[in-house]
Order: sequence, then structure tokens, then C-alpha cells
Amino acid sequence: MTLADARARCPELVTTPEDPARTAAALERVLAALGRFTPVVAADPPDGALLDMTGCAHLFGGEAALLRILAEEMTRLDHAPRTAFAANAAAARALARHGAHDGSDDIRALPVAALEPPAETLVALRRAGLATLGDLAARPAPALAARFGEGLVLRLRQLLGEVAAPLVPRGHAAPLRAEERFPEPVARTDDVLDVAEDLLRRLGRDMEERRLGGRRFVVTLCRADGARRRLAVETGRPTRDPAPVMRLLRERIESLADPLDPGFGYDSVALAITRSEPLSPHQIGLEQGKEAVDDSIAALVDQLAVRLGPEAVYRLVPANRHLPEVAQAALPLAQGAPGRAASFAARLGESPPRPLCLFDPPQPVEVIAGVPDGPPLRFRWRGHLFAVRLAEGPERIAAEWWRHEGAHSGNLAGHPENGALTRDYYRVEDSEGRRWWLFRHGLHAEQAHPQWYLHGQFP
Amino acid sequence: MPRPSISGESPSCPPDEAAGSGIPGLDPGRLHEVHAAGDDRAAALAFALVQAGAGGRPLFLVRPRGGGRRRAGLHGEGLAWLGLDAARLTLVEAADETVLLRAALDAARCPALAAVVIESAGRLAAYDLTASRRLALAAERSGSRVVLVRIAAEPRPSAAFTRWTIASAPSAPLAGAAPGRPVLAARLDRRRGWAGRQAHWLLEWIPERDSSHGFFRPLPPASPETASPETASPWPAAPVPGAVAALAGLRGGAASRAA
Repeated sequence: MTLADARARCPELVTTPEDPARTAAALERVLAALGRFTPVVAADPPDGALLDMTGCAHLFGGEAALLRILAEEMTRLDHAPRTAFAANAAAARALARHGAHDGSDDIRALPVAALEPPAETLVALRRAGLATLGDLAARPAPALAARFGEGLVLRLRQLLGEVAAPLVPRGHAAPLRAEERFPEPVARTDDVLDVAEDLLRRLGRDMEERRLGGRRFVVTLCRADGARRRLAVETGRPTRDPAPVMRLLRERIESLADPLDPGFGYDSVALAITRSEPLSPHQIGLEQGKEAVDDSIAALVDQLAVRLGPEAVYRLVPANRHLPEVAQAALPLAQGAPGRAASFAARLGESPPRPLCLFDPPQPVEVIAGVPDGPPLRFRWRGHLFAVRLAEGPERIAAEWWRHEGAHSGNLAGHPENGALTRDYYRVEDSEGRRWWLFRHGLHAEQAHPQWYLHGQFP
Repeated sequence: MPRPSISGESPSCPPDEAAGSGIPGLDPGRLHEVHAAGDDRAAALAFALVQAGAGGRPLFLVRPRGGGRRRAGLHGEGLAWLGLDAARLTLVEAADETVLLRAALDAARCPALAAVVIESAGRLAAYDLTASRRLALAAERSGSRVVLVRIAAEPRPSAAFTRWTIASAPSAPLAGAAPGRPVLAARLDRRRGWAGRQAHWLLEWIPERDSSHGFFRPLPPASPETASPETASPWPAAPVPGAVAALAGLRGGAASRAA
């Protein structure tokens, strides 16, 4: 069915472009959630999962109860599952995907489409009057194989349980975790941190074998009286090197609101790497200058992000909107190096000059303009009167009416943050030589007395 | 090209100009202070970022966390318009003054940066002689510039190598009485090891051909097409007449560069 046909039949149809990466990520989340039911979970891309429930169903109160719990779990993840039980994986899959929704588990009643044959084979099977798997199974297999190919017969026998259809379960990576217990409680935090550094070195070798680098490190300090203290640090890029992680940990300890209290001493320390990323072995280049530069800046960014919060260290990147205050976004650097983002310089040609400083929110000012649509002659801001010497404009920036309900009819007024009125921007220079960016919020046709705002300052 | 030697003609002028700009640059490995009035914030930031951001290395701008009623951020397109690539500039926001100076100190210790620009408004009580000495030492060790932009603040004794005062100045109007290219009035108040007491320049921002780069070039102070006499200097009563740069030297410099 084409999209146009589908829309004609169901006008309220919502469509989104297909995104295989997001689908795969969603499936991965579902598989992880299904791990609570059985250790043997296999993916059936793009949207299925096969679970081997052998010996597990009784833990959930039988198969019916299990299905109910599973449906609840999937609803929590915003999925509506179709489930089926069968004696083997291929049959369960066929029942879930092609079965009638009345809960019957009769394999032989399934349509031949459950074999998922190529389209021409399917047509040929239907023309031959073979509607269900039962019809097919009643025929001699060699004749079917001669006419429709060996693959069809193999699939049929798998569904009927005559040939094994083994599952390839999803692998579980061993967690990156290490622990050290002390024979006697250790009272000095520095000594405990030295041990944590040893653990880091040990896990570093582990990660090197698996070609991983850690991004999030959690150190748990267990005090002799049972109290636990968790310290987590994140790095901007995957690392196996203990030194920068220890530096971040010490930074974290210093910036703790309530300092570490060793009490009667710590009796064990555990280190877990809760997030890791692929990191190939590092090749030392002949010119090391560039790498050293990148590394030292990454270390600085990590250090500042740990102390000031990950949102506080950022870069400005262009955003795909045209109102000046939302035409840029702050990209926190602690979440990893930014990709090759578009550059602001690409917009230089298409727009008039933009100010260096932007007031957020725009500052309301009182303005005296010569003619209603003209540039300001004088404006008053924070009690000071500025006389305009030179002015350029207007540069008209339309409202983003598509973002606001009713905005295109001019119903929304008020503060410019609503972004619902047309703005006329003027670049003015006052008598002292300062250059400002002012805008009139709303056309005279839109508003009786448009308010003026000061939005930025040019150097 | 015969480079005009300002110091040769006028002993009151500081030595070693930044290459190509005709004014003393912000030397690497030093702490510099840039003062400006409250309404000249954009001018001071533009001066600091353009003068300190020479070369392709990354820049850090450490600033107080925008809060309260008057929050003024930087605009990426405005940066690009000044020839600064926003991808080179990392912004760091600190919650209070002590944290601000500490973050700046850490950034100043990083040897890979072109400059660390610190933006501050008001008194900045935490910036005392010790704090400035620390910043100066960190800059000396790492070789990057540390530029402290102080908006609406009284100058205070510090270990800074130079102290500038920046103000916006009237621009040469474009056709139709439109504001022209950015013009700043820069006053060098102090420079270590320099006998003179003050020097003034009017700086105009000159974009290069592809407008992705640019620099500040000094204008002749009282040339008739740039400014009327009463607006040529934003400081009406220049207290040290002898310290003003020799007109001939500056004119020669601008003319030979234009040629």
C-alpha cells in the first residue's frame, strides 16, 4: 500500500520517517528489560524478541501470569506486545507474527505466509490451493522441495518442531568491577584512594583486552560501621589511564558539600565502570604536538565540568531556527567532543551584522521614533537616555508562527519570548559611539502601541 | 615594507607592537587587564577576544553564570562576524567570584590555549594582589595569555602586565547614515617596564577579504572623516598630554599599511 492510499483510507494517520538506528536502540532497551524473565534472550530484528522460558515460567506463576507481567513491563516501556508460547522458538515466532489473535496455538492452522517465503512463492502456493501450514504438511516433502525449494521445507519442518531452530542468545558483557577488602579498617582517605588507583590500573588492563575505555567511574567507599559513600566521575572521552580519573576523583572529593568522614576507617573499596565506550589501543604518533594539545584541553574540560557541573562548560553551535535568541544552542562539552557541527560563518553572507552580546531576555526600553515605522531617535534604558546618531534598518524577522497555536492570526501578544509577533530590528549608534540592536515588537498593523526592546550590543 | 617605529619617534609610546596591528598586542605568557564602563561591555569583549585570539588555538572564556534580570550572553553569529570561529571558543560559567577565578586559574595553567579571557562585572572582591599574581604566574608557565575583562570596576593594584581601558567610539558612517565598522577607543594605562603613562588609539575593525578573519587597526586620532573633534576621544579631559602617541607615527603607520 502506498502512503497516499493509506492516508486516503485513514486521514488521521500519523507518519514519521523510518529511523533504523532508533529502532535498533529501542529493541536493545526491550531486550535488556526482558532479561529479568530469562537469561536466554535473542533478538529478532527489527521488532521481535525470542525468549527461552524453559524452567523459568513457574517463577512468575505459570505461563499465563508470565504473559501478563510481560505485557505490563512492555506497556511501561510504551510498547504493545504480541506474544505467543510454543514448543520451539520458530513456532512461537510464527504464532506471534502470523497467528490469529484468539490465543489458539495450532501451528497447522497458520497461513502459509508464516513461512515468510518470497512473494512469488507465496502466490504460487496460494494458486496451488495451499492456504495453511497443515495443507503443506500433508503433502510429501520431496515434492514440495522440488517445486518450491529446499528452504521452504526446512522452515516448515522447523515450525513443526521436526528440525531444531536454535536461538542465538544476546551476549552479556562481564561488568567492569573490582573490589578490595582490607584486613583492618583504613582511616586515611588518601590511602584508600591509592588502593582505588590500583583497582583502576587493574581494570585498565581488563579494558585494554576488551578494547574499551571508561567514561563513568564509580568508587564506593564502605565504612567499617556499614555506611557507604559513592563517588562518581565522568570523563569527556573514554580513558584507561588512571591518572586523569584520580585527578577528577580528588576534585570531586574537594567539591563535596559534606566532606568525607572516614569515621573508624574504611574496610573495603569498590570500583565500577558503569559506562564504557570502544577505545582502540593508542598509537603514538611521530608528531605528538596535536595529540598533547587535544588531551590537555580534554582534561581541562573534564576537570571544570566535574567542579562546575557538566552544563557549565559548553560551546555555542548554530541551531536550525532564525529568531536570534534561539539561533544558537549551548553544547556541553563534557558529553564528549562535538561532531563537525555547522559553522556560524556559513551564515555571514546571508544576514546583516549580528551583535556580539545578546541580552536574554530582551530589555524593554522606551523609544521615541520620528515616524511610526521609522528608526528610533532616542531611547531610555535603565534611566539613561541614549540619543541615536546613526541608524540602519529595519531588518524584519518574522515570528515563528508555526510553533504557536493561533500565532499566525496574531492572537498571541505579550513578551517577545512568546515569539509570536514580527520584529523590526534596527542597528543604531548612540552619540557616545556605542552600537546597539533594538527591535520593535510587532508591526503597527499587529499592535496599537508596539513595545521596543534592546536585544544586543555590537562592539 | 618600512615598519613605522612608534617608539623611535615618541619615547612615551610602548615598544614592540603586535605584528601588523600597529598597537602593542596582548603578549603571550602575561596577565592583561581590560577595563570598560558598564555600557561598553561588547567593545571590551571584542577587544579582548580579537587581540588575544590570534592564531588558531582554542580560547576559553570564563564568565559569571548569567542570572538575575540582566543576563547577557554571547552570540555565535556576532562572534563569526568578528572573525572568531565559535568552535574555537569554550565558554565556562562559574557560580561565584571565587569559583570564577579558580576556574580561570586552572584554564590558565593549560599550555594548549591561545588565551583565557575572564569576564567580570563589578568589584570582583576576590581579585586581589595574590590572585592576580597567581594568574600571572600561571600564564608565565603555560605561555598563554590571560585577559581579565573588568566591566564597571575601579582599577586596583595588581600583577597585570598591561592595563587597558576600552570604550566604544563613533564609527565612520556608511551610506544612508548607517553605523559603520566597529571602532574602539583604546587607552593603554600601564605596561610593565614602560616609562610612558598613557597612550591612546582609535581602533577600527578591518575584516579581511573572506570576512572570516579581521583585526583592529589604529585610525589617525583626529582625522576629519572618522570623527568630529569633540567625539574623537571619549575622555574629554586627557590628563597626560605628553603621553599621547605621536600623530605622525600613527598616521605613517596607518598610511603605509593601507598602501
